Amino acid sequence: MWTLKRYPFVWLLPALLPVALVTLYPVGHALWTSLHSVMLLFPGEPFVGLENYTRVVTSNYFAVALRNSATFTALAAPAVVAIGVSLALFLRRRFFGRTMVRSIVLLPWVLPGAISAVLWTWVFHPSFGLLNWVLLEIGILDRSVSFLASPWLAFISVLVAHVWTQIPFAVVLTMASLAAIHPETMEAARLDSRSSWKRFRFVIFPEIKPMVVVLLIYNALMAFTSYDLVYAMTGGGPGTATTLLAFQIWRESFSMYDFGAGAAVAFIVVVISALLIIAITRALPSDLFGDR
Amino acid sequence: MNIKMMAAAAVVGVMAASMPAAQAEDVTLEFVVWNYSLDTIQDNIKKFEELNPGIKVNLTDYTWPDYQDSLVLRFRGGTQTDVIYGGQDWLPAWAAAGWVAPLSSIAPEGKVDALAGDIAGFALSDVTYDEEVYGLPYYADTISFIYNAKVLEENGVEVPKTWAEVMAASEQLQAGGMDRPIVYEYNQELPNFFDAFVAQAYGRGGALFDDEGRAIFDDPSNPAYQHLEWLQEAFKKDLVQPEPHESNIITTMNTGQHAFTVVYNYVLAAMNNAGEQPLAGDFALARMPGDTNSTLGFAKFYAVTATAAADPVTAEAAWKFVDFMAGSPYAVAKRWAVEKGLGFGQLPLLSDQDVIDAWNDWIDMGTLAAQVESAKAGTWTEWTAVWSAYFRPLLAQAMVGEASVDEVMSAGAERWNMLREQFANR
Repeated sequence: MWTLKRYPFVWLLPALLPVALVTLYPVGHALWTSLHSVMLLFPGEPFVGLENYTRVVTSNYFAVALRNSATFTALAAPAVVAIGVSLALFLRRRFFGRTMVRSIVLLPWVLPGAISAVLWTWVFHPSFGLLNWVLLEIGILDRSVSFLASPWLAFISVLVAHVWTQIPFAVVLTMASLAAIHPETMEAARLDSRSSWKRFRFVIFPEIKPMVVVLLIYNALMAFTSYDLVYAMTGGGPGTATTLLAFQIWRESFSMYDFGAGAAVAFIVVVISALLIIAITRALPSDLFGDR
Repeated sequence: MNIKMMAAAAVVGVMAASMPAAQAEDVTLEFVVWNYSLDTIQDNIKKFEELNPGIKVNLTDYTWPDYQDSLVLRFRGGTQTDVIYGGQDWLPAWAAAGWVAPLSSIAPEGKVDALAGDIAGFALSDVTYDEEVYGLPYYADTISFIYNAKVLEENGVEVPKTWAEVMAASEQLQAGGMDRPIVYEYNQELPNFFDAFVAQAYGRGGALFDDEGRAIFDDPSNPAYQHLEWLQEAFKKDLVQPEPHESNIITTMNTGQHAFTVVYNYVLAAMNNAGEQPLAGDFALARMPGDTNSTLGFAKFYAVTATAAADPVTAEAAWKFVDFMAGSPYAVAKRWAVEKGLGFGQLPLLSDQDVIDAWNDWIDMGTLAAQVESAKAGTWTEWTAVWSAYFRPLLAQAMVGEASVDEVMSAGAERWNMLREQFANR
């Protein structure tokens, strides 16, 4: 008899097959491309083995792009989680206009990356930008600053924009996790300690820790594969100041017409992403993936 | 084969022979453009469809920064694409890859040569690859030096004729309280970021490549090398306000807080548009500063894809469409010129009274004619687009002082010469 227990894999096939098809085929094709010379302006697509990988790893941009991506990820992921958790804790409180504040906090979620990029480009604009205006008004600056033309300021600017776009998801997941804490646990914590920091550290954080780990992994991956904001705000520049590895996939493929090299960079990104996941889950052990 | 079958085959053959006329009237062209003034494009298409019943034109548009990638994906993916906007920098690569077709393969005999005779030299050069004409100009323009005449007059500054004078004038204006006198389109992902640099080097009388196509701009005595040094110095002195796109330059210049910029002429038309800009009328064209006052002239054009050219019915319709959009009597090119201030490659329009009347509102025609006359085409090869993508970030890096001019020019020249050799051995 066909039962879920006897043939679980067969019952899963209708769902697994389409997923496998739309995942494995592109990945397989990308792997094939990375092992061939697929340069649009040259005839043929000969097998070149690991030559594409060697070429991109030894190119003059790779070390810079890898360093930028690592720095970007190391700063963005904890920042998103820290701000997201703080905002979620704040939004649990009852205060006047809480619904409106929640809506505003979630606003970046509904904006496509390109729109967010345009918005932040205007915020950082030297003549019309809100940031320059504020800094000039309060006297921190005596003349406007071209944030997106200065290498390290451009990096910070893209980082800020990226963090802004990712915060709402962190807030929503953390709020869901906070809502799952039993009210009696919270009440007991309030009786045991008047310090809100201690309540957070010893009661709330252990409860939401699995979610924090998920958020860290998710945001590390989002930061490491970030592309749209860089593309629209700085084009990876000035020079290579904001060039991330994910952006370099696009540049190799579409600017240089070298799909083989682009696919090789993509696979390097995949491998590093996998290592990132392992590293974070090991560094922050939680009960998420274990038996409870 | 028996007699009945032969008769049936003959009937089918006669019917098929009588059908092409009807089929020719039932063709849909996929027309792909970047998204400048889509209303005007749609209206032009409507007029074409009215004149050519049975030919339908589907319009697809992409943003300018995404255009090249999107077209490459369409070509590679086999998405039906018949008529496209082409660019001078992409043509050699696209033609060499077999993605676009020479117009002589689809046009009636002698027609392309007749039209080519009306096209300005630099524009004709831009639509030609391997001695074949691949497109007719959608617009052709020069990259020009623009200044705020009112600001200069109020500050007692003469219109600069050399780059040294531009630097001196900018420093004078800065000393007088202007924050950053020069507005510069600074976006390393845009092909025009490199084009504008070439235009300025041409103003100095520079050539970036020798007669055999080898890079020579890494020589410190080359005007392009000297101009990058000039730009680096101007950035270092905080004389330059970078802007990511020409549309921002229109707004920024109209604040009256800046004096100079280097942009396409149609941007000047937009800056001087009295209906939209507060300081319209304050901006004027000057010859590109430098010893020769030359500049870069270029053409964007209508091209037909190789797949469209391979099908006789589509090819015929595509030619009719390209001829309508860019062929004599140049009604569509004239419309772009009069309504939008777009430059044109078709020389007869220079003496068209409607064009002259419209352009006199926003540009000095005498200066423009002199600038166009001295304009030179760029060096466009199969590898220019690929090389430019590599070189533009280096240029951007040097401008803001993150790399030395020597490093950047040497790396750029080395990559150019390597690609040149690679393509020669292809």
